[in-house]
Amino acid sequence: MGELYTIIIDGKEIQVSQGITILKAAQQAGIYIPTLCYLPEGEDSRRPCLLCMVEVAGSGRVRACSTEVAPGMQIETRTKELEAFRKERLQALADNHYGDCRAPCNLTCPGGINVQGYVNLVAKGEYEAALRLIKEKNPLPVSVGRVCPRFCETRCRRVLLDEAIAINHLKRFVADYALEHGYRERDIAPATGHKVAIVGGGPAGLSCAYYLRKLGHEVWIFEAAEKLGGLLRYGIPNFKLPDKALDKEIRSILELGIHVKTGKSWGEDFTLQDLRDDGFESIFLATGLSRQKPLEVEGGQLAIDGLKFLRRINTGSAPRIGKKVLIIGGGDIAVDAARSAKRLGAEDVTVIYPRSRVELPAHQRDIGEAEKEGVQFFLMAMPMRLFEVENGIKVEMARTILGEPNERGIRLPVPMPGSRLFWDGDTVISALGQEGDITFQSFGELEASIAVTPRKTIKAHPSTMKTSVSGIFAGGDAVSGSRTVIQAVAAGRRAAESIHEFLEKEKVGLIEPRFNFTKGKRFEDVDMHNFDGYSIRLNEIMPSRPPERRTQDFDEVALGFSEEMAVREAKRCLRCGCSGLSKCTYRELSIDYKVKTNKAPSRMRYKIDSSHPFIQVDPNKCIGCTRCERSCRYGALVLEIKEDPKTGTMQDVSIGLNEKCVSCGACVDACPTGALSKKAVIVPLLPSQVKPVKSVCTYCGTGCSLDLLVNYGSLIEVRADRKRPPNWGNLCVKGRFGYTFYRHKDRLTRPLIRDSIEEPFREVDWDEALRFTAARFMRIKEAYGADSLGILASSRCTNEENYLLQKLARGVWGTNNIDNCARV
Amino acid sequence: MIDPRRTDVAAIAEAQPEGIWLRLKPGTNIPLLNGMLHVIFKEGLQDDAFISARTENIDALRKHIADCTPDKTAEITGVPAEDIVKAARKYAQANNALILYGLGVAEHKGGTAGVMALANLVLATGHVGRPHNGIDPLRGQNNVQGACDMGTLPYTYPGYQATDDEKVLESFARAWGVDSLPTTEGLLEPQMYTKAIEGTFKGLYCVGYDPAQTQANIAHVHKALRALDFLVLQDMFMIETAKFAHVILPAASFYEKDGTFTSGERRVRRVNKALEAPGASKADWEIVCLLSQAMGYPMFYNHPEQIMGEISQLVPAYAGISYRYLDEIGQVWPVSASERHGTPLLHTKTFPRGKGHFVPVSYMLPEEDADKDFPLVLITGRRLEHYNNASMTTRCEGFDILSPEEHVEVHPVDCEALGIMDGDMVKVVSRRAVVKVRARVTRRSRPGTVFMSFHYQKTLTNFLTSPGMDTKTMTPEYKVCAVRLEK
Ligand code: SF4
Ligand code: SF4
Ligand code: SF4
Ligand code: FES
Repeated sequence: MGELYTIIIDGKEIQVSQGITILKAAQQAGIYIPTLCYLPEGEDSRRPCLLCMVEVAGSGRVRACSTEVAPGMQIETRTKELEAFRKERLQALADNHYGDCRAPCNLTCPGGINVQGYVNLVAKGEYEAALRLIKEKNPLPVSVGRVCPRFCETRCRRVLLDEAIAINHLKRFVADYALEHGYRERDIAPATGHKVAIVGGGPAGLSCAYYLRKLGHEVWIFEAAEKLGGLLRYGIPNFKLPDKALDKEIRSILELGIHVKTGKSWGEDFTLQDLRDDGFESIFLATGLSRQKPLEVEGGQLAIDGLKFLRRINTGSAPRIGKKVLIIGGGDIAVDAARSAKRLGAEDVTVIYPRSRVELPAHQRDIGEAEKEGVQFFLMAMPMRLFEVENGIKVEMARTILGEPNERGIRLPVPMPGSRLFWDGDTVISALGQEGDITFQSFGELEASIAVTPRKTIKAHPSTMKTSVSGIFAGGDAVSGSRTVIQAVAAGRRAAESIHEFLEKEKVGLIEPRFNFTKGKRFEDVDMHNFDGYSIRLNEIMPSRPPERRTQDFDEVALGFSEEMAVREAKRCLRCGCSGLSKCTYRELSIDYKVKTNKAPSRMRYKIDSSHPFIQVDPNKCIGCTRCERSCRYGALVLEIKEDPKTGTMQDVSIGLNEKCVSCGACVDACPTGALSKKAVIVPLLPSQVKPVKSVCTYCGTGCSLDLLVNYGSLIEVRADRKRPPNWGNLCVKGRFGYTFYRHKDRLTRPLIRDSIEEPFREVDWDEALRFTAARFMRIKEAYGADSLGILASSRCTNEENYLLQKLARGVWGTNNIDNCARV
Repeated sequence: MIDPRRTDVAAIAEAQPEGIWLRLKPGTNIPLLNGMLHVIFKEGLQDDAFISARTENIDALRKHIADCTPDKTAEITGVPAEDIVKAARKYAQANNALILYGLGVAEHKGGTAGVMALANLVLATGHVGRPHNGIDPLRGQNNVQGACDMGTLPYTYPGYQATDDEKVLESFARAWGVDSLPTTEGLLEPQMYTKAIEGTFKGLYCVGYDPAQTQANIAHVHKALRALDFLVLQDMFMIETAKFAHVILPAASFYEKDGTFTSGERRVRRVNKALEAPGASKADWEIVCLLSQAMGYPMFYNHPEQIMGEISQLVPAYAGISYRYLDEIGQVWPVSASERHGTPLLHTKTFPRGKGHFVPVSYMLPEEDADKDFPLVLITGRRLEHYNNASMTTRCEGFDILSPEEHVEVHPVDCEALGIMDGDMVKVVSRRAVVKVRARVTRRSRPGTVFMSFHYQKTLTNFLTSPGMDTKTMTPEYKVCAVRLEK
């Protein structure tokens, strides 16, 4: 121990021992100084990042990482000038940085799901982990996996190569598979004692209930209808989302212990004040939209309401509609109604819509399916008048043209002058879309004070879901107007997080910084060299029932991927998001210093090198800190950087792993970016999402310390802790990379027995296997004595297990015949 | 570095200006170590103070090695005399010197004797009982130390307590609530095989071990396993031994369970459960409990922590070991009941038996050596990329690229003589079997010796290996067997 010095850092007086650096001194005092190139206990960088620069009174700026403390030193770490200097340094690196922090699919999903993560978990057969990952953001994957319009797929980069990944089909596969294989929710927080009421059991309400319950709150859902599900149950036909699947999904949520009151209608059976009086500290309004825009033409009342039509079918009381049906509207409900009409026996079903085909608001995929089933679309036409005729209805229609732009610049379709057409048939269904409804304001005083929008929806903050009344939150279609299921689900989740914050004064949920490097926001910006070396592999085709068969009933059309198909499809993923995300200090610092990414290059400069068995090298992301080179003990990492002689910025980088490489992976874990990344890391996570479980390596008797980074029940990667003996951060190839066996398909998961070794094995349950084993051992013992039995224990098993094995041999069987494989 | 092969570590030693690599002929550890001792005594480099205070029987040793001159040693071992002298001086004169030894010492007919030869070196120079000194066996598996500590050996109870000590038996019987404990001598693994073939050993419960691939001379082992009435295997994968099993019980991996391992430095470390075990598979300790219950003995534990509680009651060296104190760096046994961190340094004042006893040991010829019909020596061992039967590592992504299949390493000189080119399929023929494998021409091998690993289920190297065993521990002689190569 050297002498003790007193120094001052940022006004704080501290005692430090002689010989340590300013950086270490600051760390000991809990003062954070940013670093990038600094390698604890390693040699100094030949290209100092200079982020650690601090101001020392009397000697100006020095590098904290390499300057030793001196007695009486006065140090400033955070002056304006220093911060500006750091920002400038980081910005210069950003202007050279080419990559995607997060995959475009992740960024596009309104639910914020880590799409790349679950697709790749499917590719590795980790279905349960995939589902857990999805459920972190979306507790209704069975439903969403069937009805989502798939925002993510529209941004999938694979389109530039051949076809987008069938992401949503994978979600459905995972959800169906896991539910079938006994997936159970775990990790419910201990009870908080808070009670929350949710009004409305549709997707937003269910989602909110799920997350609140997981946070430990007591949750009650009040639903006016007979069953939960809302639009999912009553508005979406069974051939798209069967009741059976929905029921299973809802059951899996309710199993968490959620109270449900169905047949309880807000305004009729209770008011918000009643709920408050019953001890509900917070209320979430998720009533959806139940009202349709009326058909405002003469005789409009002759048309059946589309939403009611679907609801009647879904509750088993389908109306008689005859053979010839006209549907007015072009949204999801219109198309679903048309397809349902076909299934009710209508032979001639026409959808009439005043604009062109591409403007149909319904999903193009559904329109295609409807056409396959024989539904016809009559475009650029609108109804003018409905009137009854003998045995049916007659509709007077007009062809449309686009009118003059209105005050918002929108050209609405108007009837073409002089155009007059007629349709006659049995039934007209009107599906012009849903609209808001504020009649609730008359239910009570509390209700009256909830602010609404001109669109007759509830006014709520888009991210906190707070209404104008404290403690009352709202979300889903009742707030946003008609949107997709995933948007309602996301609103429910955000509401749960914000209700939790309201109740517990504690923030939950992942804070995902918006900061993002991208290889191109639009497809046309993406450098096509990114796809060099890939070969074309088209989508798996979703198996579905042929149109002539499926229109005979309301059974599900799409049959779902088989496991093989799902894995094949998932393997197509290009893994756009950076697999260095969880270790990227550079990104963290760039976020802190508000670095801009808009000047980042749009072209790829270096080929990505995947030739190493475990390590991917992407020099496009290199920031030239040289940590990799300095952490390799084998002289195997060859880093060459050409600099601009004037500015010192990197001009050319090459990173090579030569034949001396022993694949220890020290360089990857030292790299503070994704320039070096591990191929086996398939789920890109934020640093806050990977928590190490401390363990010990099993590959030899040295007993190296391991950090197992796990999430979703999947082992994401293995690292070593620089602070723990005996390896102080070092590992060999097996320790760092030899872990994926745990998910190998060869894993034995059921006991197997057979009478003789000539026979094949039979899968049995534990009871049978144990009974069989015990009986056979007993029989041998009785016939030949205890010493005819023996145990070979394992020097790979734990101490406790070895102890029990010798206890079994000696104490239970009565023999000293116990040995282990230590000699091998 | 002492090794017949230019291993990665040997290459490092070779590359260092001060490094020494003694490339001995396989199986000549003892003469080499005796030769070094000879130099030490001849040049007066021994630690006389240490020898007189802490050891006994020095005279017998001095006599024994009196004519192990460097020249004679060089002749037997193939190591140049001056290197022997240099290495002896370096080791003896170093302030601190540590001996790490691997299975290349133990896996010989004279394995135990080889370890004693090392111990003589340590005692003669006093390199023990201080930090950065001593002798440390590098274990081939993660919990060799712990398994032995826990008494999965026929001749000792947990904590190396003798099986014939009445007092020990009494305390275990009381703790386990049984009337009596066995008094007959237990069988070592190789003895189990002999008895199985003879027909008196009938039922085997094999946990996390693949003797059908990793034992030596496996034709013999297969015959024994086939002769059993009943074999229960507990593992994660369908390993080679599964072919002979009647029951397979699916086990959890170490990521999927709690417990402790004890490393080669006697450090007891906590293994923390990070994942759920897949399907119906269970942790080994749970399965043992269930099997015990099925056989009528109530063995119940809620958690391995409870088991450790029981161990610490019965094993003095583990008395102070508790999950509460294991934290992130573990405890080094012996740990007394009142202690936390344990005893990283042993033998500071005395040895367990009092004084260190020099045991003169002599060169023991291997079971078989190169001869006219089998002119090459086959050394078997491990490769960095794989772990034992490689049931885990061959199932990890990337390892199939790194090291996809077995090959036999042959020195270029031997290749030239035999007309073998790199990548040729060759037959490796021993007295017991023929194994086909690809040849790799490499200077890692010493001329006259070839090397294979036993990692691949597709290439069962151990059909070739020798029936020889260490005379005391019955550790197989993996390191020497006579072979020839055929095209
Ligand atoms: S290296 Fe870091 S900053 Fe660059 S793309 Fe990857 S995560 Fe983003
Ligand atoms: S993996 Fe290890 S040996 Fe290979 S380049 Fe990286 S640090 Fe060096
Ligand atoms: S590859 Fe990584 S560690 Fe190496 S210089 Fe580039 S950014 Fe730094
Ligand atoms: S120069 Fe100090 S951390 Fe980079």
